Amino acid sequence: MNRRRITGVLAAGLTAALLSACGGGGDAGSPSGATGPVTLKVLTWEPGGSEYWKQVKTAFEAEHTDIKLEMQAVPFDKYPEVQGPYITSQSGPDVMANNAGLELFDRRGAYEPLGAKAAEINKDLVTYSGACEGFDTSKPCYGVPFSYQGNVLYYNKQVLKAAGLDAEKPPATWEEFSAACEAVTKSGKTCLALGQSGTFPAYWDFPEIARNYLSEDDIRALLAGTISWKDPKLVSVLTKLAEITTKGWANKNAPSITMLPDGADIFQRGDAAFAGTIISDAVNWEAFGKALGDENLGVTRWPVINADAPLANKFSGIEGAVYGVTKWSEKKEAGLKFITWLAGKKNGELWVQHGKGQPLNKNVDKSLLPSSPAFQKIQELIADPTLHAGVMLSGPEADALARGWQQVTLGQLTVDKWADQMQRALERSPTKKQGK
Amino acid sequence: MTISTAPAPDPKVGKATAKPGRRRFRPGQARDWWLGAAMVLPAVALAVTFKLVPLGRGVSTSLESSSGFGESSFAGLDNYTRMLDDPTVLSSFRNALLVVATLPVWIVLPLVLAVLIHQRTPGWKLFRAVYFIPYTIAPILVGIMFRQILAPEGPLNTMLTSVGLEPLALEWLNGRYSALFSLVAVALWSFFGLGVMTYLAGLAALPDEVLEAAYIDGAGFWRRLFSIVVPMLRATVAYWSVLCASGVLIWLFPLIYALTQGGPGDATMLPEFLVFQTTFQFLDRGYGSAIGIALFVFVAVLSIFSVRHMFKEGTRKR
Repeated sequence: MNRRRITGVLAAGLTAALLSACGGGGDAGSPSGATGPVTLKVLTWEPGGSEYWKQVKTAFEAEHTDIKLEMQAVPFDKYPEVQGPYITSQSGPDVMANNAGLELFDRRGAYEPLGAKAAEINKDLVTYSGACEGFDTSKPCYGVPFSYQGNVLYYNKQVLKAAGLDAEKPPATWEEFSAACEAVTKSGKTCLALGQSGTFPAYWDFPEIARNYLSEDDIRALLAGTISWKDPKLVSVLTKLAEITTKGWANKNAPSITMLPDGADIFQRGDAAFAGTIISDAVNWEAFGKALGDENLGVTRWPVINADAPLANKFSGIEGAVYGVTKWSEKKEAGLKFITWLAGKKNGELWVQHGKGQPLNKNVDKSLLPSSPAFQKIQELIADPTLHAGVMLSGPEADALARGWQQVTLGQLTVDKWADQMQRALERSPTKKQGK
Repeated sequence: MTISTAPAPDPKVGKATAKPGRRRFRPGQARDWWLGAAMVLPAVALAVTFKLVPLGRGVSTSLESSSGFGESSFAGLDNYTRMLDDPTVLSSFRNALLVVATLPVWIVLPLVLAVLIHQRTPGWKLFRAVYFIPYTIAPILVGIMFRQILAPEGPLNTMLTSVGLEPLALEWLNGRYSALFSLVAVALWSFFGLGVMTYLAGLAALPDEVLEAAYIDGAGFWRRLFSIVVPMLRATVAYWSVLCASGVLIWLFPLIYALTQGGPGDATMLPEFLVFQTTFQFLDRGYGSAIGIALFVFVAVLSIFSVRHMFKEGTRKR
């Protein structure tokens, strides 16, 4: 009797399991006859803000009724920690983002190379080499950028005026900047809002100093890992970075905070004269303009240290976030459609209107570009670009740069020892090691 | 019922006739054995699947060299020898030892507070709740909260300055040792409520008469604590010690993540954060696993003495 009852229960369970496997196992986008739209999972740190991404979702889904976007938004400084496990386990989102340059190359094993399609998809972009290996479009490309990125020095005109400085003529050289900082500090404000934790020093501060000492070949050597950190040029870069904090130009808590949001907050609150941040995405001219008033916000190039350096007056530019289709995705066709759309004119215009960023698409309607004086000034600054040295650093190098800078600031390390630490970080960089 | 008058079988004779090297089960015994094995099997299977297999996988990964997320190759003990020459790894374990040195505070402070609550010190009901609240706040939030509190111009230093204690208004998160000290203090703030609750549970099982008798005999608070409470609460103290010994090395991750990121420099870098950073930020899985295995051994060595002590206590004949 009992045996018969158990057999009955088992049979019922097996039948239910089989039914559910047949009915619910397939993804909406599977080719096995399912009719619903494909759901594409996108991992992003939402460059441009959540409003822009809402617009992307609405516009893309309206044009592609067979595809639904499911966004997983992660804060920028937490992104590597979320993305890392996905890549290690070769599972997760169908489309992901990484910063152009080494960050993307480090993770190239997670992306489906675009092959011959790269040139076709990116044909209307001003540049897309940052999405390709070694910044070379003839080599494999792993995704699509749509924004242009780089660093400028924002300044608060009111703080400069209060310190007795000419707000229309910001410091242009290292010496002038030093004098300005002295005046600002005397007036009771911080000169340069800074956060030294995380990857920000590598991406936002390092390239601006490096331009004064490195040539484009040196920057390529940095990417290849063939230039030593004990090279006098790189030691000079570290020395000048150290001066920023050891001369007392930055806020006291700089070693223990990140630039985003803490450092940027100091500037946005009106407590600092300068902040070195980016032209697109978060904490750009738009956010600062809102906080301080467009009329109080100025933009300039980082002060020149070595006027004779060939790149000193150029703009360290780089494609912004690059979106690529993951290798493990079972919806590669849909993923490709999405990233192709991201490179298009429509998204370029959404990027300008809602992300308030610098578009890469050449066909974007110029009348849509913002009229903010800060934005207009940025157009001037970016006209003469060069390679961005920061994105050439590997994870260990970017980390050692931040930690070493913190220690130098606190008097725990000399610049020479910092250079030693950087060299060790280079030697333990998996991707650069691989390239040798 | 009948009483047999036949002589009882001689056990020696029985033994002599049994086949050597083979134990004979009675049918009931065999069934019991299989039943016992069947009941233990799920636990063994779970332990093997979720503890031994990941550990084995961790060990095998630690013997590999990986480049980014690409293919990995066998590297023998390279990752382990590399650790010995890596100042960040050495520094993280040195920091771990400093954190372990704070263990007496982790063990004694909750005990003192639990005894104060147990003896119904005025306000004990309020404090019983208040002490436990920090434990219920997500550590990541605690980290964010204390990043503001401990800032050079943050509320703590403002308060210290306003009451004339300016020399104590340190740059808490900026100093080589003050950052590590601050991290441990924040962790203690966050977790000591659990210790208080653990000790209170142990204290509830103690006979009140013993403590009352000591009180009547004129024993002061500290005498009662060390001469009566601690000896009687030995098992609970040992349990909390084991938990803390391993916990201080593996509880701090979210706090490091939110509060210091291991900085400034490597002042607050602990092995568990380094494992995470090496594996997921630097994409060096083999090396990250090797550091993880080293941490496992470190925690195991640290815990083994307390666990052995607990085992002896538990099996001692009373």
